[in-house]
Amino acid sequence: MGTSRPDPGHEHEATLIGRIQRGERELFYELIQPYEKRVFVIAFMILRNEADAEDAAQDAFLKAFKHLAQFRAESRFSTWLIQVAINEARLRQRKSHLQIMRSIEDQENEDGTYTPRDFADWREIPSEALERKEVREKLIAALASLAQKYRDVFVLRDVEHMNIEDTAEALGISAGAVKTRLLRARLMLRDLLSPGLDGVLAGHSQMPKGTKPWS
Amino acid sequence: MVVRCEDVWREISNYVEGDLDPALKRAMEEHFAECPRCESVRDGMRNVIELYGDKTMFTLPASFHPRLHGRLADRIEGRRGSSLGWLLGVAATAAFAALTLLASVHDHSLPQPRAQMSQPARRLPQRLVAVVDGGKTFHVPGCPFMHGKYHMVTAEEAVREGYAPCSRCMYEALRSAGYVTPDFEGEEVASSETAAK
Repeated sequence: MGTSRPDPGHEHEATLIGRIQRGERELFYELIQPYEKRVFVIAFMILRNEADAEDAAQDAFLKAFKHLAQFRAESRFSTWLIQVAINEARLRQRKSHLQIMRSIEDQENEDGTYTPRDFADWREIPSEALERKEVREKLIAALASLAQKYRDVFVLRDVEHMNIEDTAEALGISAGAVKTRLLRARLMLRDLLSPGLDGVLAGHSQMPKGTKPWS
Repeated sequence: MVVRCEDVWREISNYVEGDLDPALKRAMEEHFAECPRCESVRDGMRNVIELYGDKTMFTLPASFHPRLHGRLADRIEGRRGSSLGWLLGVAATAAFAALTLLASVHDHSLPQPRAQMSQPARRLPQRLVAVVDGGKTFHVPGCPFMHGKYHMVTAEEAVREGYAPCSRCMYEALRSAGYVTPDFEGEEVASSETAAK
């Protein structure tokens, strides 16, 4: 953790971007194809609504195309695109009541040690359980219940597998803040899903202090 | 080194990622062997990371891809113009003006266009213009009458290959650079280039 992972597609992306900027605009489809899902998921976990997230994702891609001339090659395209997507989703969020909730959530103090709540024996949730829609929905609801700043970090790092540095750059925070928030997000999710599969399927979730239930 | 439960909770995220000092890692493993509560926290965190990181966890809505491409198509394929195209156009126009000034000083040789319709000016500068694939005219990049995929060639090459200058953008560009005579006759944009409007 903490070091930049090699990006074999970086040179290919730089070539594509250059060709798009020189007029081969149809190559934009190829450029964004690997990131379509990522942009949607990020928007979804900010807006917590599928239809709004899809609109925000579309607008983000349009803005990325419109402003591609401003993209600087020293950045990763993926990080820049994520920033565009986050900005677009937050812009929509500001127009809704969700902003009020976020403001309250973000005032929470993240200093100090987080104390796990449930120490029962963890019962493994196998990956195969994700085939069940109800399990996925419960997991998404648990993640959606976290404060925005924890969701942001968790989604980029653990859902989208971005490294610490890129996550920090995309969110405009320090690497230390990424690690602190990631620790809390992981511990809170573990508490919400405790004691494992039985708890998830039973709808059992104990909201730790600082989290909000999300229907 | 001996660690307490509070120490474990503070470092457990780094532990599951293998981002720990070896001595601290060893101490935490010794703690896990004796503390079922912290072991439960560790197992739960690992499980959480594994589940949310699974590629099947989140899926795109049905038909997300075609809807996205539908929205992007107008912009990318230039049916309504674009800011990128506009920016390119502005940049190209500026470059054009500079190049034509240079050409007027250094290059007084005239290209010999083959096409009858490709003699818009007494003097055709050495500069890059946009030729639309399948079209018959050449343009300043970003011209609103230019539609579809295009490639860049010099004005001389465009004329030599039989392309005629767009009567809108090229006239303005040439006139502003002082290269157009009153008898200038450009080519109306071919129907294949306007069809997509």
